[in-house]
Amino acid sequence: MGKLFVWDRFFENIPKILPYLSVTFSIVVYATLFGVLLGISIVLVQIKKIPVLVQIVKVYVSFMRGTPMLVQLMLVYYGIPALFDPVFGTNINREWGAVNFAYVTFILNQGAFLSAIFYSAITSISYGQTEAGLSVGLTEFQTFHRIVLPQMVKTAMPPFGSDLVGLFQNSSLVFLIGVTDIMGRAKTIGTATKHVLEAYVFIVLIYIIISLGVRLLFFRLNNKMSFGKEEMG
Amino acid sequence: MNFNLEHFKESLIYGLAYLPNTLSLVFVPLVIGLTFGTVIALVRVYKVPVIGWLMAVFVTVYQGIPIVVALMIYNLIFMLKFNDLAAFLHLKKSISDMNNIWVGIFALSMAAVCSISEAVRGALLSIDKGQNEAGYSVGLTTIQTIRRIIIPQMIPVAIPMLINNVVGLIKASSVVMAIGIVEIVAGATIPSSRTYSFFEGYVAAAVIYWGFTVVVESLAQRLKKYTGKFRRNLYD
Amino acid sequence: MIEVKNIKKNFGKHSVLKDVSVKVEDGQVVVILGPSGSGKTTLLRCINFLENADSGRLTIGNLEVDLKKSTKKEILNIRRRTAFVFQNYNLFANKTAIENVMEGLVTGRHVPKAQARERAEEALNWVGLSDKFNYYPAQLSGGQQQRVGIARAFVLDPEVILFDEPTSALDPELVGETLDIIKKVAEKGITMIVVTHEMSFAQDVADKVIFMDGGIVVEEGTPEVIFSNPKEERTKQFLSRIISLDPNYSI
Repeated sequence: MGKLFVWDRFFENIPKILPYLSVTFSIVVYATLFGVLLGISIVLVQIKKIPVLVQIVKVYVSFMRGTPMLVQLMLVYYGIPALFDPVFGTNINREWGAVNFAYVTFILNQGAFLSAIFYSAITSISYGQTEAGLSVGLTEFQTFHRIVLPQMVKTAMPPFGSDLVGLFQNSSLVFLIGVTDIMGRAKTIGTATKHVLEAYVFIVLIYIIISLGVRLLFFRLNNKMSFGKEEMG
Repeated sequence: MNFNLEHFKESLIYGLAYLPNTLSLVFVPLVIGLTFGTVIALVRVYKVPVIGWLMAVFVTVYQGIPIVVALMIYNLIFMLKFNDLAAFLHLKKSISDMNNIWVGIFALSMAAVCSISEAVRGALLSIDKGQNEAGYSVGLTTIQTIRRIIIPQMIPVAIPMLINNVVGLIKASSVVMAIGIVEIVAGATIPSSRTYSFFEGYVAAAVIYWGFTVVVESLAQRLKKYTGKFRRNLYD
Repeated sequence: MIEVKNIKKNFGKHSVLKDVSVKVEDGQVVVILGPSGSGKTTLLRCINFLENADSGRLTIGNLEVDLKKSTKKEILNIRRRTAFVFQNYNLFANKTAIENVMEGLVTGRHVPKAQARERAEEALNWVGLSDKFNYYPAQLSGGQQQRVGIARAFVLDPEVILFDEPTSALDPELVGETLDIIKKVAEKGITMIVVTHEMSFAQDVADKVIFMDGGIVVEEGTPEVIFSNPKEERTKQFLSRIISLDPNYSI
């Protein structure tokens, strides 16, 4: 069996794994960009109380928050072909790369989680702020854009940061549908060399660095936008 | 659209049959998390020298590790080293006798300890410093003040966050299927490998989880009404 | 001149304003008194379109609008001729004191930034906050916040400033200094409508006192008449109740 952990193998793995960081990042970037758009749309539906859509959105958000990411990933992976193939006569499973299923799942998931963050941020700002804006002669759009939005961004920033850390971590699940991200790559190295611990330890380090980096970034952003309030570190 | 209702029902039954496994994957880590999480939070908030700092570093770093990656590592070590350990302890067991659900429970417990310690710490920090001083001023020791004054006030603040932790644990418990433990997801898809109705299997699993988390959250809503009545004042 | 004619407003089944008409001449200071729930705050909010009235007309200077069917442009126009001082200050939490005062000038009225800054500094100096320009609302006391609120309204040079119970959220020891600032605004000859419970302020500063109760104007007149010789029974009752509660007040 030999030694469990060998430094040489650890260093050999680094160049084999690092390129796959781009897969992890692409999932996070797509999920964040489109998740923000989806989240904003959901909040608009909730605030404007658009009939029917409001109920649909409520069920959707509850489902996304109440089921495991892993199950959602599998639902999309098996569900999209099951739903679309018979209707459009396609063969999605073969035509699509597995990573596309990951994009879809993470966008849908982030949309729901971010909508909850945005919604609570927007409702946390007192209506008096809007009234004050209108009373000094700002238009509704100016009031939203200059007074409400900056305060909303500040309120949403800390939960958005935690969400981003969680997103990076959750992206490690995509190897279960056969996507080769850094986790998937570590597994394939394990299969090929029969030594996987060094690869796992290396990706653990990557995840820790990313998580600390994101936290630090948001901590700085938060301090920049303190608006005179002392915050606990 | 292809959706086989019969296969869905079968999966639902299989999934529910493995609910007890999920329950132990949630309940044991929850108890361990509450115990050690509270201790870590107290150690950090009351700034116990060295240990407080070590715990802060540990929690911050450990929370950066995805649970599935930690799980794979623990499982690997367990698989490779259990026989050595058993021999060392003179146990008459080998790896084949052991159920690796304990690896899942261990991984989930570690995560629970960290996240619960953060929730409890947040609740502790929300309590006014004057409460400690008032405790000391009437002659209570630090431990007495924590037990009789601080913790009772902290509980209602911590409950919403703890409920989030429970829901998070329920969802996180699904990753143990990656090391071959059969719980709701793996259970619900047992029939799928025969019928090829994987979609139905995962829908069944989703429904069970969804029901589970909705029940937990509605219980939490009720709990909120019972606890913390004394927190209410004229201003809120 | 500001004139509100036949304003009505219901909240659900509850009728808050039942056909109220009020006229304020240029430079006049009008104080509206009345028990809580009398509709006085709602009247003020309707004038600034913070509430939509169910019917009525509003004239400010040469601009006359329907309070129910007014276009967005008319509403903006009215708001740019009026200014509002809120009970709980409502300073923009994301802006410093000076930015709060500049916002209406720069964004609302397109005054060049340098000029707006100059006027805002002057206004803040005038309310005694020359050392707090770059403080955020969270760093100011209630009394200081309200003084910024007054400067924010005053700097706009509006045709009327509407004060909605400007001192009732303040600690008692801060009420005096805030009232002094409001008096200074009145001395500048700016038209003001003030909803307040401060009787001595009403007596000192008001040109006209309006007593409202149950959604109607019960009685109006000079402070001398209202305070020493009220005609209506409801006014007498209200005044005797308030005066017995207010140790500062003496006739």
